[in-house]
Amino acid sequence: MGLTGLEIFKQLPKTNCRDCGQTTCLAFAMAVATGKAVPDRCPHLSEAARDFLGSASAPPVMPVKIGAGSKQVEIGNESVLFRHDKRFENPTAIAVTVCDTLSNGEIAARVERINGLVFERVGQVYKVDLVAVVNSSGNPGRFAEAAKIAAERAEFALILVSEDPAAIEAALDCTADGRPLVCGANAANYQAMTGLAGRFGVPLAVRGANLEELASLAEKVAALGLRQIVLDSGARETAKVLADQTQIRRQALKKFRPLGYPTITFVDHEDSLQAVLQAGVYVAKYAGVVVLDTVEPADLLALITLRLNLYTDPQKPPAVESKVYEILNPGKDSPVYITTNFSLTYYSVAADVEASRVPGYILPVDTDGTSVLTAWSAGKFTPEKIAEALNSSGIAEKVSHRRVIIPGALGVLSGRLQEVSGWEVLVGPRESSGIPSFIKQQWKT
Amino acid sequence: GGLGSLSPLYRKVFLSLKEPAPGDGEDDLARLSRAIRKEAGVGELRPGLDVLRGLPKTLRDAGWKVTVSLAEGIGCGCAEIAEIEPGRVGRKYFGLAVDIGTTTVVAHLVDLESGRTESMKGAYNRQSVYGEDVISRIIYAGEHKDGLEGLQKAVLDTVNGLIREMTEELNIKRVDIKAAVCAGNTAMTHLFLGIDPTYIRLEPYTPAANKIPAVRAGSIGLDIHPQAWVNCVPGVAGFVGGDIVAGVLASEMAFSEKMTLFIDVGTNGEMVLGGGEWLVACACSAGPAFEGGGIRHGLRAVSGAIEHVEVAPGSLAVKYSTVDGVPPLGICGSGLIEVVAQLYKAGVIDRGGNFVFPGRTPRIRDAGEGREFVLVWPEEPALPGGIAVSEAEIKNLLRSKAAVYAGIRSMLKKVGLPAGAIERVIIAGGFGGYINIREAVNIGLLPDIPLDRYTYIGNASVKGAAMALLSRQARQALEEIAGRVTYLDLSADNTFMDEFVAALFIPHTDLSLFPTVT
Repeated sequence: MGLTGLEIFKQLPKTNCRDCGQTTCLAFAMAVATGKAVPDRCPHLSEAARDFLGSASAPPVMPVKIGAGSKQVEIGNESVLFRHDKRFENPTAIAVTVCDTLSNGEIAARVERINGLVFERVGQVYKVDLVAVVNSSGNPGRFAEAAKIAAERAEFALILVSEDPAAIEAALDCTADGRPLVCGANAANYQAMTGLAGRFGVPLAVRGANLEELASLAEKVAALGLRQIVLDSGARETAKVLADQTQIRRQALKKFRPLGYPTITFVDHEDSLQAVLQAGVYVAKYAGVVVLDTVEPADLLALITLRLNLYTDPQKPPAVESKVYEILNPGKDSPVYITTNFSLTYYSVAADVEASRVPGYILPVDTDGTSVLTAWSAGKFTPEKIAEALNSSGIAEKVSHRRVIIPGALGVLSGRLQEVSGWEVLVGPRESSGIPSFIKQQWKT
Repeated sequence: GGLGSLSPLYRKVFLSLKEPAPGDGEDDLARLSRAIRKEAGVGELRPGLDVLRGLPKTLRDAGWKVTVSLAEGIGCGCAEIAEIEPGRVGRKYFGLAVDIGTTTVVAHLVDLESGRTESMKGAYNRQSVYGEDVISRIIYAGEHKDGLEGLQKAVLDTVNGLIREMTEELNIKRVDIKAAVCAGNTAMTHLFLGIDPTYIRLEPYTPAANKIPAVRAGSIGLDIHPQAWVNCVPGVAGFVGGDIVAGVLASEMAFSEKMTLFIDVGTNGEMVLGGGEWLVACACSAGPAFEGGGIRHGLRAVSGAIEHVEVAPGSLAVKYSTVDGVPPLGICGSGLIEVVAQLYKAGVIDRGGNFVFPGRTPRIRDAGEGREFVLVWPEEPALPGGIAVSEAEIKNLLRSKAAVYAGIRSMLKKVGLPAGAIERVIIAGGFGGYINIREAVNIGLLPDIPLDRYTYIGNASVKGAAMALLSRQARQALEEIAGRVTYLDLSADNTFMDEFVAALFIPHTDLSLFPTVT
């Protein structure tokens, strides 16, 4: 939203009553400005302030829900062009196609394969989100049958891809409970399609031949009372899609309402490598939904991982991974330095270990990216945590000795650390710049 | 100033009551209360049981002419009838204002009748033997048997020592001190009262209480009248405490039209931005470098501390001056700022604080843990090794200055204002009135805005506490300020970290923020 915390603050009652859960009215205003709270949380807002904040805080990109219950995915609700400006909110929904020209058995088998596209790695679940049933047959009855089979078997919500209102109506008759995305409306059929989407209470994708037509169509659909809209600029070639996606997001952020909806994109490359690259571009550049025609885990894993990375909240302290780092090819006799995973701290230590010209291991303990003294202050750099890092990092297999060097500022931890880890603890210099002379004098192998 | 008429926390009021008579049988307490309300303008009254027990006899023995002692509190809507004495009593009575600093404790003894400050004394906080900073002390309190008791006793001994000095000097009785206001950071306040401070330092950094009701002096062992109320100035959060709230009161920024930045350039680096409409605060944890801590030859701004330094480019000849003009013993925060500014100007260090002087000079020598720059040769004063600052210490100071500047920038960013919107900067804290603002801007410690917007207020915390002793309006203002300040947790997102990294250079990575620095 465009309002700053101070602008919102001006609308508040300024009682600091804390009924909203924040400590002051200004804290609440800041939370609203960053999307962490909604104006309605304040029970004492005047009617005028409520109206003003309500319209001003409406998200520039409308949130749209596809699917129902546990299969539901939300797209839209975005507010930035670049993730580092704040964050990307709702990960691009990945959809895999199923054509209604396949036999019933083939449809069932393909849906089963799509259901299997769930990966787990380092505690995170990676998966696709949608099954796109495509009306390639041109036959409404066949389409409805295919949609019904997919709806019964799929562990994901559906997209119904057909521009024939009769086909969509037939399919919705048996799948509307699952709240599929209808894809969709165009200049010729939008009245019928909007009527259907409204009647069945499902979201609708709108396709224009270009952005101008798309904007005017979206406006007409909205004027008919439908708000759950997804935009399709009609482009299928990567460069054109990229340009359209960028333009749609930019206009939406400038509060150009007709383009203030999430988008759907289609990958059309035959070659699966090219298709995944194409999809990668769309995930990085604002697509709400990307539709692909592959069920190969190898194709999708890379794409899903990319999506996970891009939609990670960047508002986290800069940290390095907590693992054993090797400086100058250390061996069994090399010293082991303990520090924290705050990037600035780690790189200072790494540079000074390198400057010592004595190969060594650095083990940055995970302190949520805080520095040595900050982590110690906040109870995040305890002997127990360091001992745990020594045990779980595999450093014990890399060296033949059991001696570890801790930062000089935390000499106070040495006794307890020795006790809980069983390692002999050497207290290093206070500053990492002292490492070269420390190691030459104190480290005997 | 400007906070209305004298309405001290404790005062004696002489009353001449109308005797009960047929048709006027109002009870003694109601009769007394009505007179007090009329005379002293206080709201609800609460008599102690002892006072009530003796009330009928006291009033009649005194012929209905009595002096009533009224004790009020911060954050309490009522006044206590502390004592009733027969006749008109004009004996002097005093109040105590204390700033409980992590390093230094400062006390003012105030005559509550005249409002005059009769004595001021300062001493090092005896808690220092348990740790130099609040964190070490919180850890000590939690991890040692009787740790909390030891810390509480240490600070009480410090304050009681000051009380003894002041009362002896003025030849007054300690029981004539009838009220106290203490302003300290949140951890200090907890330790002073013996309240468990453990969770202040653990996420999400929650103190036991920010507003603490007044306690009897006798219950904590403060050496004044045992029934006197000890008031702690309310704090805002775990790292923005009553000392800052008191400082904000003394600065008068909370009721000003002017956009003001208040900075306590100390270890905790608390700062407050705002004015009459809103206030935001944060603590940037600058570290002790500006108070001389963590620097081998660092010193507080006491006699013999080097406060001004000039380094001639080329020859690297050093000119310096010390506090009180005595031979140098070390270097204080303001001197360190000038050293960094001058070494950069002379080409000894680069923007990152690395020693890059191309020539050979005995001023730069190897000191085991990296190189150092010699300010004072050993033969000049009686100092073995002389006075020098090392590369690591300069980088340490750059981190401190980066923390302060990043704190300022983060606050401005959160409210969406440019640095130019700051109409005045008030610098508080022991850092000294010695600070050279120009050089502080040159190294990027303070924002590059017109120098005439900067003022130094000294120990604003004890000033605010003394105001609370004397004025009901000041006491209400303290509560109002504490409730109105919005605390910004700098660790909650990346803003501070990004600003901090960008500020690690002299003066900054973004030179457009420092247009007048060349």
